[in-house]
Amino acid sequence: MFDRFDIFFVQQLVNGFSVGLVYALVAIGFTLIFGVLNVVNFAHGEIYMIGAYAGLMALIFLAPPWVALLLIVLAAGIVAGVLLERAAFKPFRRFRDEASLKSKAMRESTLLSSLAVSIIVREATEKIFGADMRPIPRAYANALQEPILIGELAVASGQLVILGAAIVMFLTLQFILFRTQIGLSIRAVAANPLGAQYVGVNVDRTVIATFAIGSGMGAVAGILIGLYQGTIFPAMGFAPGVKAFVAMVMGGLNSIPGAVICAIFLGVSEAVATEFFAQGWADLVAYLFLVLTLIFFPTGLFGAGRERV
Amino acid sequence: MRGANVSDRRFPPLAIALGAAIFVLVPLGLSLADSGYFFRLAIVTLIFSILALSMQLITGVAGLLSLGHAAIYGVGAYTAAILSTRLGLGPLLTIPLSGLVSGLLGIALALPTMRLVSIYFAVATLGLGEMIYVTLLNWVSFTEGPLGIGNIPPLRPLGIDLSGPLATYLFVAVITAIAAVIVHRCTHSYYGNALRAVREDDQCADAMGLNVVRLKIEVFAIACFLAGIAGALWAHTTGYVNPGDFRFAESILILAMVVVGGLGSVPGAIIGAALLLLLPEALRAVGEVRILMVGVVMFLCILFLPRGLFGEVSALSLARRQLGAAWQQDRGVGWR
Repeated sequence: MFDRFDIFFVQQLVNGFSVGLVYALVAIGFTLIFGVLNVVNFAHGEIYMIGAYAGLMALIFLAPPWVALLLIVLAAGIVAGVLLERAAFKPFRRFRDEASLKSKAMRESTLLSSLAVSIIVREATEKIFGADMRPIPRAYANALQEPILIGELAVASGQLVILGAAIVMFLTLQFILFRTQIGLSIRAVAANPLGAQYVGVNVDRTVIATFAIGSGMGAVAGILIGLYQGTIFPAMGFAPGVKAFVAMVMGGLNSIPGAVICAIFLGVSEAVATEFFAQGWADLVAYLFLVLTLIFFPTGLFGAGRERV
Repeated sequence: MRGANVSDRRFPPLAIALGAAIFVLVPLGLSLADSGYFFRLAIVTLIFSILALSMQLITGVAGLLSLGHAAIYGVGAYTAAILSTRLGLGPLLTIPLSGLVSGLLGIALALPTMRLVSIYFAVATLGLGEMIYVTLLNWVSFTEGPLGIGNIPPLRPLGIDLSGPLATYLFVAVITAIAAVIVHRCTHSYYGNALRAVREDDQCADAMGLNVVRLKIEVFAIACFLAGIAGALWAHTTGYVNPGDFRFAESILILAMVVVGGLGSVPGAIIGAALLLLLPEALRAVGEVRILMVGVVMFLCILFLPRGLFGEVSALSLARRQLGAAWQQDRGVGWR
């Protein structure tokens, strides 16, 4: 009897781990954009949703092979990210002096504008595609919901795909950030936008590149998770967006590895919480962690020291 | 001096005009139209005006971006609902008690989070707001969970029947006017100057000898008190509360009202509330576009009118002209 219980518990941990990876996929793009612009992009959840819808449309009308599907979604995410940057962030970067780059009003106006854009995009999607959940075509959905037995543990093939995607995305991002020219300029702008400009970095182009990379990753996460969960709906970005947000804050706001670790930790602790409490109360866990982190570790668990929080 | 001349007037003309509009013209028009729908719309607009005013105090004047205001409002609504259905208390008790419960909750939430600045405070309030929502939704034995609490008695203070549409409207209008005066006095005074100093640069304000944390907690408590009162009014006028009405989207709506109306301006909050509630209703024929409109109006406002429709500077100069009260230490009014 005890070993049955244990295997069930381990199964829960595995499921929690894969939920955590879902949060991590969203959190990577989120954190990248925060690290550079020092603003929170509230529309990231909507990019994720756009990725899922772009993928769904491609599946219905083109039925492309897997690689082509991912490329289409990546392209859609990049386009959406660049448009988002143009609409919600560019207008507020016309002031370039140090005082306004650091000013509170500046940061909060981009926060509000990205919030407004996210509302517009979500509601427009609802008007166009309807608010209800749309199922994924069966042929594709089945491929990600194939159960694979490892010993007594059942793992869906989608969970492995998400694990793979998270690893690939994380490594790609680390490669881009630390081994390429654009990564160097991203890190330079993140460290000091004005200084980067003085040494000849094109700040505008760097910011757009950051948005393109972060949003492309968000969109791919959206279609993978939509396929794995089997349904897609306009509000799908909200819950993972908030959880990714929590993971980002816990991880220290500009540390990508920290965000990934915290996202996985969050997923696992939610799964453990469902073990002991009703499903509804388990939502409390993420917010509890958020508030506790902000109060006791204001710089996050893995963050470097910052001036003030 | 013109200023001294104007300050002798006890009632400035603009305030009289506004009062006349709210207490005479609008109810007259509504009674002539004699439509329950219009009355309901007017009452909801007034309730959201109180909410926007309280948000104005936190976000506009003290510069604390709160993303969990709707949850505080929800706590007020649930307090009134539970007190009046379980204990049978009258609205004369439930309304102040709701304010009190929300205000105390505000202090409890503010104590640990007030050290956080800007975005971190916003994130913390978002988290706390969602925690309150989850509690309202899942504590079924106390809040009835997703079913909500129904059959909340309408407004009958001291046996006087105010449950008719006109009487309810006037009752809510009186409370809104009181809330506007409270917020006005908190903003256009030395206290308001201190809050603005905290907003502009809290470290500098601290160095000047202001007790920043205490100021923030006080203003948060006042705003939460007003939000709780708005919640109680909502509960009594609607007769039904449901956790879905107090979610993140509602917080954003209140925030949008303040942003559209103009951060830091008292009339702006009311203008914003009226615009964001009435415009979507006017466009009802086009389809259910309420939230989309909120997003669009908010976005255009941030982009083209960063100071809002009726911004702080114009609000201050209006108050100065109308009340003529700059530099009057004995009345505790002034903004230099």
